[in-house]
Amino acid sequence: MTEPLLKVEDLRTYFATEEGVVRAVDGISFEMRRGERRGVVGESGSGKSVTAMSIMGLIEPPAGDIVTGRIVFDGQNLLELSEDEMQSIRGGRIAMIFQDPMTALNPVYTIGDQLMETIVLHQKVSKAEAREIAIQALRDVQIPNAEHRLNDYPHQFSGGMRQRVMIAMGLSCSPDLLIADEPTTALDVTTQAQIMDLMLHLAEDRGTAVMLITHDLGVVAGFCDTVQVMYAGGIVESGTIDDIYHNPQHPYTWGLLGSMTRLDDATQHRLHSISGAPPSLIKLPEGCRFRPRCQFATDICRQVLPVLRPVGNPGQMAACHRSEELDLKALSVDGEVGAAASEVTS
Amino acid sequence: MLAYITRRLVYGLVTLLALSIIVFTLLQLSGGGPLDRLKLNPRMAPYIQALTEQWGLDQPLYKQYWTWLRNYVSPCTSTDPQGCTSSFGLKNAIPIIMLVLAIAATAFVVYSVKNHWRGALVLLVWFVAILFAFRNMSIAFNWGISFQGAGPVWDLVFSRVGATFRLGFTALLLALMVGIPLGIYQAIRQYSFFDQLGTTAAFVAFSTPIFVIALALQILLALKLEQWTGVKLFYVTGMNNPGYGEMSFLQQIADTLQHLTLPALSIALISLAGYSRFQRASMLDVLHSDYLRTAKAKGLPRRRIIVKHALRNALIPIVTLVSLDVAFIIGGAIITESIFGWPGIGRLYIVAIGTVDYPVVMSIVMIIGIGIVIMNIVADILYGVMDPRVRYD
Ligand SMILES: Nc1ncnc2c1ncn2[C@@H]1O[C@H](COP(=O)(O)OP(=O)(O)O)[C@@H](O)[C@H]1O
Ligand code: SF4
Ligand SMILES: [Mg+2]
Repeated sequence: MTEPLLKVEDLRTYFATEEGVVRAVDGISFEMRRGERRGVVGESGSGKSVTAMSIMGLIEPPAGDIVTGRIVFDGQNLLELSEDEMQSIRGGRIAMIFQDPMTALNPVYTIGDQLMETIVLHQKVSKAEAREIAIQALRDVQIPNAEHRLNDYPHQFSGGMRQRVMIAMGLSCSPDLLIADEPTTALDVTTQAQIMDLMLHLAEDRGTAVMLITHDLGVVAGFCDTVQVMYAGGIVESGTIDDIYHNPQHPYTWGLLGSMTRLDDATQHRLHSISGAPPSLIKLPEGCRFRPRCQFATDICRQVLPVLRPVGNPGQMAACHRSEELDLKALSVDGEVGAAASEVTS
Repeated sequence: MLAYITRRLVYGLVTLLALSIIVFTLLQLSGGGPLDRLKLNPRMAPYIQALTEQWGLDQPLYKQYWTWLRNYVSPCTSTDPQGCTSSFGLKNAIPIIMLVLAIAATAFVVYSVKNHWRGALVLLVWFVAILFAFRNMSIAFNWGISFQGAGPVWDLVFSRVGATFRLGFTALLLALMVGIPLGIYQAIRQYSFFDQLGTTAAFVAFSTPIFVIALALQILLALKLEQWTGVKLFYVTGMNNPGYGEMSFLQQIADTLQHLTLPALSIALISLAGYSRFQRASMLDVLHSDYLRTAKAKGLPRRRIIVKHALRNALIPIVTLVSLDVAFIIGGAIITESIFGWPGIGRLYIVAIGTVDYPVVMSIVMIIGIGIVIMNIVADILYGVMDPRVRYD
């Protein structure tokens, strides 16, 4: 097997707040191959963005701190790099685009200025060359009239167009990894589909690996090869799209799948949803973090924190004590959730 | 843009009219007519007679107002029998006005026009030419003569404007040069010891009345400092020493600074406290903004992020604040001028109010009003220059 592009090992990122230490990311490990498209899914507050910001080296002490872990990117541990070295990776080899395109661009500079800034910085080209590259980048994201739009300010673009600009900016330096943090959450549904489509094609053409952060399993299905599900700062399950959709091993994943509104289901009927709220990241419960909301919890769940371990299909991993005994796949296919669940737990 | 400015000017004019009516009425209602004091002196009878005729003081209020307004906007002519000698014309103010206009226009062109350097050069040459053409021009309006016998109001007011400008702009400059970098630095080092210190100091300065600050500075930096060191560093009254005319150039500069420092500092301290707070808040907003995160994610060096992406945005709200403050300063460091015996319009104003010298009071109120109206428009234009999202329509 070739060396992975990105290897995260036991990453822990904590924030010091007045109420106490927020364990936003608490010991996660995963790998990404070159060109892999990986979905990071979880409720809001589960640590997805903090994971991304940690990889980008944008966690700023003293408020936040990566307390342990390694983030090995192309053979280099990013956490050991100096700020200068990190700057050449940021935007150059790892690019990131954010949730809200309306506020992600600086309102007082033109699109061209902001695009060319990145290009000049990372590619050591002249202004004129940078301009050409910028125009091409805008054309690639299908912005009409690119050479003129270059002189426009962000407020002259719609939300979808701005997100295209962000994608152009992200891809302009041909990064190895593009992190997209909920890139379509702020957009309307039709625009969402267009943007995802665009990203899919651009990433595929260039072989760029993409980490797609979202709380929407539906978006992941059409885009990613692999998925990791996060809950309360940890990864609770990971595997291929197929594994996750058709053979979930963790009750939380199963719950997420159930709470998806199925477009193919005319009744828009939700199979089951997860009640309750995620735990406070300051005072995490003993044992399994999902336990307070888990309908399958037993005594061991209360005492022992389950670790991520191979279970289910080859390559699939889950962090649940009861993966083997619960047949979640059967439960979700049956649709007779209430009866089946109470049967299992009793 | 032109339509916008025209509209704003019309609104401004309406505002000024309303202001003049209100102040005029209040002055009349304040009891003790303007002539009461003069009447105590029997020899003043002919003078009173002349004033009454000139200002229509025996007429109904609205007619008096009308007379005042008509005079106020009419240029002096030599046929005016009373108080319009125009020995002191606008010519002294023209260089300043033209310079300000030239700088503003140049800045505007540099920011907005494509071929900016050539455009800026043309404008500058143009302004310098106008400056020369008009350098001897003298304009005066018929603002009447002071009831207290201090001569033509136009002369009186404009002989004081220079002093107020000198004090006001020095204070403003001090406040800007210290307050804004201070606020920015505090924001960058939020919650550091320095930041906390700055915050505390700003609150103390901001909540201390200006006369306390002025007196404290006088006692500390003039009185005590002289007692301790034996050197007289600062003066506490006046704008220059009597022998100013005979001093050498360097001595003149020293003398000017020695007089200017303390009153300017008193005014500056309070403005400075305000600016630093405001700048700190605005900078913090920007530092936490999404687009700054984008800038970091691009891999830009920290200095570039601060200077290019943060500063430019953080300065926008300050422009309005400062523009309005300029008008406020023209309007007078009234208290400061009184404490430091500074011969500016602030002190003139206080004396004029005390004696219900209404041509003087009205003139000064209107100058302040005009200043505020103009600076408001300037603020809006500058805002548009700095922020491409702003449109004039
Ligand atoms: N700068 C910060 N200071 C304190 N807590 C933070 C900070 N950033 C994130 N957190 C906390 O970390 C947790 C995870 O946040 P995040 O990664 O943004 O979640 P999401 O999965 O929705 O992207 C949240 O509970 C959040 O409150
Ligand atoms: S370990 Fe127990 S509580 Fe946690 S998810 Fe599995 S069954 Fe539920
Ligand atoms: Mg997030």
